[in-house]
Amino acid sequence: MIKGIAVSSGIAFGQALKLQPYDNSLDYRLLPFSKISEEQQNFRDALQELVESLQDAGKNLSRESDNYQLIEADLLLLEDEELIHQIINSIRELQFSASAAVERVFEHQASELESLNDDYLASRADDVRGLGKRLISAINGTLGLDLSKLQNDTILLAQDITPAEFAILPLKRISGIVLQTGGLNSHTAILAKAAGIPALLSCHYQDQKIKNGDSLILDALSGELHVKPDEELQQILEEKYFQEAIRRQNLLAFKDKPVYTTDHHKVTLLANVGNLNEIKHLSDVGADGIGLFRTEFMVMNAKKIPDEQAQYLLYCNALQSLEGNIFTIRTLDIGADKELPSLSLDSEENPALGLRGIRYCLAHPELLRTQLRAVLRASYHGPIRLMFPMVNHVEEIDQIFAMVARCEKELHEEEMLFGEVSYGIVVETPAAVMNLDSMLDRLDFVSIGTNDLTQYAMAADRTNPSLNKDYPSFSPAILKLVKMTIDTAKSNNVRVALCGELASDPQIAPILVGMGLDELSVSLGSMLEIKSAICQCEYKQLKAKAKEILTHNRIESLQASLSENT
Amino acid sequence: MYEKSVTITAQHGIHTRPAALLVKEAKNFQCDVLVECNGKQASAKSLFKLQTLGLHNGVQVRVFAQGEQAKAAVEKVTELLTTLS
Repeated sequence: MIKGIAVSSGIAFGQALKLQPYDNSLDYRLLPFSKISEEQQNFRDALQELVESLQDAGKNLSRESDNYQLIEADLLLLEDEELIHQIINSIRELQFSASAAVERVFEHQASELESLNDDYLASRADDVRGLGKRLISAINGTLGLDLSKLQNDTILLAQDITPAEFAILPLKRISGIVLQTGGLNSHTAILAKAAGIPALLSCHYQDQKIKNGDSLILDALSGELHVKPDEELQQILEEKYFQEAIRRQNLLAFKDKPVYTTDHHKVTLLANVGNLNEIKHLSDVGADGIGLFRTEFMVMNAKKIPDEQAQYLLYCNALQSLEGNIFTIRTLDIGADKELPSLSLDSEENPALGLRGIRYCLAHPELLRTQLRAVLRASYHGPIRLMFPMVNHVEEIDQIFAMVARCEKELHEEEMLFGEVSYGIVVETPAAVMNLDSMLDRLDFVSIGTNDLTQYAMAADRTNPSLNKDYPSFSPAILKLVKMTIDTAKSNNVRVALCGELASDPQIAPILVGMGLDELSVSLGSMLEIKSAICQCEYKQLKAKAKEILTHNRIESLQASLSENT
Repeated sequence: MYEKSVTITAQHGIHTRPAALLVKEAKNFQCDVLVECNGKQASAKSLFKLQTLGLHNGVQVRVFAQGEQAKAAVEKVTELLTTLS
């Protein structure tokens, strides 16, 4: 049995499949003459391997699909006599290794495409580079797995999966995910939770000799991975699985219930979502709307940031599915661990403390302007709340509203229709908490982002799993910051929400309600559980409990007080 | 030798997918078919080369071929250049 950090509940039964990291490294050594024909053969073998894997991938796709046609285009490039000839020549005449020769020819092709001054072909240049990288991976013997060949009930084991990679996983066939890296607040954790896939992070499975196809049970209720379980264990866990299924079935009863405590205190329960598809599932769990729409996730795998019209249509689409319910958009939160292929981000020594969130947008005003104009125009068709991430102080508010005013003026002059937007900020730095008072007169709401607030208040990297346990969000310092924020906002009659992972914990969420929050925003997967937890509590008791919780000075006694409560 | 000149009418030019279709069709002919545009030449059978010609909307293209099926090949390629989008 191997331990890990369970990030989304559930038990998965399946077969192991290890994702090998690609090796795109280049061999720049000069090739001895005696090795030339051998190296040319290495190249031809790798080429053949890549061609076959692409042909396999294409087999299951419909001929009309974009994906199929792009695979065909890749194949035509790879089978191109001219290209093969140039690579073979580079190996012979320049004494290049196969990988260096491929890099040379593909890079040349890509830069030629870029020089044509055509947006489409420029983006195609990246595809050409990507194809070259895959060919180099094949030369290095790490072509890796073709995800389209994934079998049903696969439990995926990988060193790490980036949000961009996660977005292309065939989730229907994946029953569980096990990663060597990551923690509770990592982005992969949030994505796995939203997709309802049991996942274990920071799980050092590499110590055990797991082979592809080995049967595995991932118990994300206890944070355990079992390799080749015996029959007895299999039965015990199957029983546990059915108990869990029954519990979840019972939760469904809360689907269409509005959220009131037993003494009729109303709580607005919203969803954190990252794409349009998730919005369609809001009614499955009876959410009151969206408390956090992460716009950067939509552009994660895009070649370029959608233009104003595309963003406008997207927000209009969302408004339509929401039918008048709360729609909270967060402006692009780029930087740190959420790099985008569509933007060139200068590498920083310390990205989490660098140019990210609203700082990035204020440094790239065109980006902010495009998004603001799209939001303003969409808000003509329905109510939109817009919030800005990583705001620290009133100077940033000045800059933001100057830009809002400019956009409104432009739209007015262009005779474009636009509506009234409600504005807010994500409170996620200690500075924002301390400065909140000076910003509230221009804000309609605030939303506390406890994931980043914790990392910045504790100076503890949220992506470093060895820190997660000792520096949790549910700790005296963070609860005090949350309480300060709530009290400051309330005394200024500004609505206050919480959209961090803290709100997705069914034991903690009711206490947050007791602290005075108007709204909680949680992942879709946790919604019903949070609903049922709050509906069973009395508001009067929650207020008392919240008061009591704030008196604890130790994380340990805080935890103890939490468990005696339930 | 048989040749014919046409203008690209596809709104976004002959980008990857139409170019791929064109290459597939060109490969059905014995003779080599050359496409000339913006002062550059490429074989219609090489997607690799064809892509770098910059076959944008409104651009004049000369297509020529020599040998067996030259006429049929040029006709087919020019037809695709003007109908694909």
